[in-house]
Amino acid sequence: MDLRTSITGLSAMFRFSSKKLLTNRRWVLVALMVALVAVVMGYVANQEGVSLDLGSTLINVLILSFLLPVMSLIYGASMIRNEIDDRSITQVLTSPMDRRASYLGYYLSLIVVLALMLVILVVVGWSSFFLQDQVDSQALELLLSYAFLLVIGSIVYSSLFLAMGVLLKQPIYLGLLYVFVWESLVGSLPGAIGQYTIVYNLKVIGAELIPYGNITEFSGDPTISAIVLAALTVLLLALGAWAFREKEIP
Amino acid sequence: MNGEVVTARNVSKWYGNVIGLNNFNIEIQKGIMGIVGPNGAGKSTFFKLLVGTIKVNAGEIRVMGKSPWKNPNQLKDIGFCPDYEYLPPDLTGTDFLRLTGGLHGLKGQELSTRSKEVLRTVEMTAAADRRIGGYSKGMKQRIKVAGVLLHDPQLLLLDEPLSGTDPVVRKELIDMIKDLNREHGHDIIVSSHVLFEVERMTHDVALLYKGRAVATGNISEIRGLMSNHPHHIIIEGEGLVQLAKALVDRPYTVSVQLWKDRKALTVEVERPDDFFDSIPDLIKETGCKLDSMRSLDDDLESLFKYLAGW
Repeated sequence: MDLRTSITGLSAMFRFSSKKLLTNRRWVLVALMVALVAVVMGYVANQEGVSLDLGSTLINVLILSFLLPVMSLIYGASMIRNEIDDRSITQVLTSPMDRRASYLGYYLSLIVVLALMLVILVVVGWSSFFLQDQVDSQALELLLSYAFLLVIGSIVYSSLFLAMGVLLKQPIYLGLLYVFVWESLVGSLPGAIGQYTIVYNLKVIGAELIPYGNITEFSGDPTISAIVLAALTVLLLALGAWAFREKEIP
Repeated sequence: MNGEVVTARNVSKWYGNVIGLNNFNIEIQKGIMGIVGPNGAGKSTFFKLLVGTIKVNAGEIRVMGKSPWKNPNQLKDIGFCPDYEYLPPDLTGTDFLRLTGGLHGLKGQELSTRSKEVLRTVEMTAAADRRIGGYSKGMKQRIKVAGVLLHDPQLLLLDEPLSGTDPVVRKELIDMIKDLNREHGHDIIVSSHVLFEVERMTHDVALLYKGRAVATGNISEIRGLMSNHPHHIIIEGEGLVQLAKALVDRPYTVSVQLWKDRKALTVEVERPDDFFDSIPDLIKETGCKLDSMRSLDDDLESLFKYLAGW
């Protein structure tokens, strides 16, 4: 398949996969999460008063550390796996697109949809917290920095969970274990071990951008963290694409 | 390749402990080829190997001279219509074709023109903008075939395209499949578990049983083997009392048994082809309404056992 045809195929995959992700029944879950973030952050602002430190800590704990990996898992691990299970993947498998290109199509639509939802989440949380007071440029910078981190996080976590969906029959179980044991528990342990989590490296980059709240506690070289995350993403993407190409799908 | 569309030599495919194909051999020439076998015979496994969604464990399979495994480029020349449901229910027929066309590199005016052509071919133009979830079984089969035709492949693989359809739709689909070969020049491999359905599309058949091709060739030779096997058919619907009376008078009927609830009957016939040919007239004559019609697998099973020498 030539390049022009591959681009047409990728574009068709991107359009329909994005639409599928946005219109499936999981939007109820996302709506609940948005509501939860809005209520919690609004309540805290109302009780404790508005401050950059408190706002930053809340976004870090609620969205960056918790909802980012959880939503990436929910959307990423099930994306290809569900299509294999309900056999709607047949159209993709019997098209002349190289399976590695198809995999890239899934990945691109996943990161765009996931990043969009997470940005909406942080905007809602930020608004319910900071709009109770006068908003200054520092609060706006805080919002933009977290939105940037969430986009980076979507790109990395998506490569992990999408690959899991191809490699495993029940990716959700290992995914939950990874999110809650490795990312949350191990990631919060003192010492060097925490450095081997995605969230740690995201926070190191975040600490460079955001001088407020508990994210500043993460010290390290942001350039190295960026390189680690980029390398991990490329590696996982390559692994997932290879596994998808080699996989027999009856 | 000597004009063969498909060749399989000593092909075996297994899933864990389950054998899909067992030392399977076949050569398929251009035209329409019917693959007939009971459920579990290996028909779907054969099709999946042809489109490269699975790979052989042993032996060699070639489609138009090339191995299909990890060869997506070849899928430009193949259109596959599986026996299972895979259509996205939330999409309209037009959206489904847009997605399928896009995946095959079609876009813009070319895609739009081609979509209209295939919708006309499968007579789905009027329903194209309705959601697929609301389509009848026959309409779903038609839109699946439209998706298969969109990129104008040389070889069409139709796995059980008549399954679950009523007699009227079945006749329409059979006519359409014959046209696709005669008028549009596609080579077609079509499967069914009912020999008499395949016979209405082609005279070249292969009988599969337990993963092996037990007989391949002209249907008249194979039909000779079937003469000693009367066929049992179950018909479900309404107004079957009149139909039962009409069937009793037909020369091919051996026996008719109306079920207690009068919503189904079992008919035993000597010449199944005559029976199937007469169904549209019988419906008109008696005013009955048929919901489904199916052959009892036992008949084919016994024939396959006979052919396989078991």
